[in-house]
Amino acid sequence: MYAIEADNLHRTYRTSSGWIRRTRRTITAVDGVSFQVPPGELFGLLGPNGAGKTTTIKILNTLLLPTGGTARIHGLDVTRHTAEVRRRIGYVFGGDRGLYDRLSALDNLRYFAELYEVDPRVQRRRIEELLELVGLTGRQKERVEGYSRGMKQRLHIARGLLHDPDVIFLDEPTLGVDPVAARDLRAMIAELVRSGRTVLLTTHYMFEAEELCDRIGVITSGRMRALGTPGELKRHAQDRVVVEAEVYGVDEEQLDALRAERGVRGVTVDQRGMLQVIVVQCDIDGDAEPERFRSFVRQSLAHLKLGRVEVREPTLEDAYVGIVTGQEAAAPETTAVLS
Amino acid sequence: MNGFASTARLVVVGGMTSYRALFNWTTPSMYIGTLFASPLFQLLFFVYVGRGLGVAGDEFLIVGNAVLSCSVAGIFGGTMAIANERRYGTLGTVLLSPRSRAAIFLGRGLPYVLNGALVSVTMLGAAALLLGWRTPVDRLPALVLTTLVGAIACTAFGLTLGSVGLRLRDIWLVTNITSALMLLLTGVIVPSGELPALLRGIGSVLPLTHSVAAARHITDGDGFGAAGPDLLIEVGIAVAYTLIAVVLLRVFETEARRRAVLDAM
Amino acid sequence: MNARRSLPRRLPRLLAVGLRTHIVYLSRSPLEILVALIEPLIFATIAVYLFRAGDRPGELLSAAVGAGLMGIWASVLFGSGAAIQNQRWMGVLEPLAAAPVPLVLVFLPITLASAAVGAYALLATLIWGVLLFGVPLDFADPLAFVAAVPATVLSLGMVGLLLAASFVLLPNANALANSLSYPVWMMSGMLVPVDVLPAWSAPLSAALPSKWGADALRAAVTGGDAWPPILICLAVGLCYLVLGALMMTWVERRARDTATLALA
Repeated sequence: MYAIEADNLHRTYRTSSGWIRRTRRTITAVDGVSFQVPPGELFGLLGPNGAGKTTTIKILNTLLLPTGGTARIHGLDVTRHTAEVRRRIGYVFGGDRGLYDRLSALDNLRYFAELYEVDPRVQRRRIEELLELVGLTGRQKERVEGYSRGMKQRLHIARGLLHDPDVIFLDEPTLGVDPVAARDLRAMIAELVRSGRTVLLTTHYMFEAEELCDRIGVITSGRMRALGTPGELKRHAQDRVVVEAEVYGVDEEQLDALRAERGVRGVTVDQRGMLQVIVVQCDIDGDAEPERFRSFVRQSLAHLKLGRVEVREPTLEDAYVGIVTGQEAAAPETTAVLS
Repeated sequence: MNGFASTARLVVVGGMTSYRALFNWTTPSMYIGTLFASPLFQLLFFVYVGRGLGVAGDEFLIVGNAVLSCSVAGIFGGTMAIANERRYGTLGTVLLSPRSRAAIFLGRGLPYVLNGALVSVTMLGAAALLLGWRTPVDRLPALVLTTLVGAIACTAFGLTLGSVGLRLRDIWLVTNITSALMLLLTGVIVPSGELPALLRGIGSVLPLTHSVAAARHITDGDGFGAAGPDLLIEVGIAVAYTLIAVVLLRVFETEARRRAVLDAM
Repeated sequence: MNARRSLPRRLPRLLAVGLRTHIVYLSRSPLEILVALIEPLIFATIAVYLFRAGDRPGELLSAAVGAGLMGIWASVLFGSGAAIQNQRWMGVLEPLAAAPVPLVLVFLPITLASAAVGAYALLATLIWGVLLFGVPLDFADPLAFVAAVPATVLSLGMVGLLLAASFVLLPNANALANSLSYPVWMMSGMLVPVDVLPAWSAPLSAALPSKWGADALRAAVTGGDAWPPILICLAVGLCYLVLGALMMTWVERRARDTATLALA
């Protein structure tokens, strides 16, 4: 039996705006998402903002009902066995809200322990264990408002683990946390999986996904575009090379010229101060190709101030960018209806 | 356009535009709920308490509460007219305008004055309908004038609070507490004469205390002449608060310019 | 490790921990508490003047108690009415809603806490009355008073549950809350008995637990049998609990279903 199963999930929202001429729109946030996560796996869900990641998580953790399809946690349907599912899942999200900041960590945990049905006889011990696990022992009587962002995030995790759930949803847990604290959090997440729990993680940081995830699913426009181990996803980009060029003052027109070249899959620009780093993803079908693309890029940008121009193997990030930019333009996300 | 007409246009047109932009109660239910329903229930509450205890008399409480009812639009509106500029971060832009600040902000106050007076008059009408209150028709013009003067004083007071709000973070707290205190201090329910000297003193420099007194003279049939002195004092209070507001604005502006902290405002 | 006990057995502890948590939380903002006390104190002052002028010096204690009761309703109206919204602003609504416990049992302690914190107003108006106006604390039936206060607080907290569930459905709940304080003060007869109101309003008054609470408190202060109104107060409160529970369940369902009430 899978720990998490999503079977052709759909979720549409109806919104209306305007007072006099009310415009109704149906927005499809999740459009047929399916995947399975076996027990003990750390599954990563990646995708741009608004791709449907959070909606998918909210369906799986019972906060939202699907408008189509089914979802199961350890075989329990999230719609029909809501309470039972809630007892088996933990939900942790990033950001510094989500706690009673005028209360101490201890009071926060005591309260949520009660709401999450932790047996009163073991509450005290359980809370102590968790404070130890997330490294907040000794600070538990301080009010949360004085905590750093990293401490709050660790307290979030402790809260999510109070009822000892088998399945844990981590929605961008390292959002806005400083690098050192984020590293601690990643170690903690890895430890959760080692202890046999199933984790579904969303993140915007590719290295984080690569470091932690057993498998990764990429969602755009509410659809699963790619699914596999980080290695497999990188092989998506196997028949590709990446040319990276440092340049000053490139404009959109020149980028379009690059995009028009045969074999170029996508061009992205990363602004680093004055410097722009152009990443050109190229399809290759021969050994001479990487060099050909390199000289092509060099020539196209020759009239600009040009720095280093290099050919390199695609990374997971390149694979991800390739998947996202390749699919994003496809399915229309919304349909508008005037009523 | 000559200088006066231009300024007048700025006061009226500019005032109405900012009224819509800055008035926080622009939806119909918010507007009616906050400005009309609340004071009406307040008026009914005190009239029935008065009846229950056999004190004060209907007319005393109706007239007092009706005059007081303009304070919500005036004080909150006046505060909003200035303080919300800070909230929306548009104050810098407004202060950079070469127009007279006084004209800009007085224009802002105008709609709240009319609104406040409208609320007061509506309360008197509602009292006539629901509580059977009657007064000779010839006293009405003077009564309306009194509410108008009261509304002006309240708005001027609101502008002062709003100016203070440019410096003070929690100005709404002050506005709320002041508004609640006026119930006690302006002689609306408890006659000013019965309050201890200190409270009476505070009340006498607040807006509405003198409008309420003037309105009572009018409804008691003492004639407009009897109400005159109180009305004049109320006008004086309105002028004083307006001046304070303008001076505060100017001081804060100069200071802000000197320290280049317009954004921090 | 989750040897779960059945809900009825866990209920008292669940409510107690929730109540404690939220009372502590609400009590930790001295500024908010202070602001919430100012209006009742102003009303207490006005009430004392009016009662004196009405030649009822013997009932000054009743005036102070009535003003305190007004403070309890204000606290329920603003605290419970915005309960869901407040939890959302703090970002805790999702973890609350994702708990296996029904949402009703999550929010009942929150609305009860708003009523309980409102009782600070009662304490404040009593102290204010004693210190400033020398109001004597001569309760006709102190025991009944001690019973009537928690009964009224409890019932108003149950009304709060219905407010919490209904207000979240209204786009302009603030405006409604603003205009609901005086009508309930009036219809409950918090300062003077409801006999002075028009006859048609009697059924509305009877449907408010605070009307019975006010009657009970008045009887406990000035004399009379306070116990029947205490019982009616609790019974009416229970009706609101049932309505509030139904409404809250519906809100929860709707939130998950239409997603129009974004939980986060």
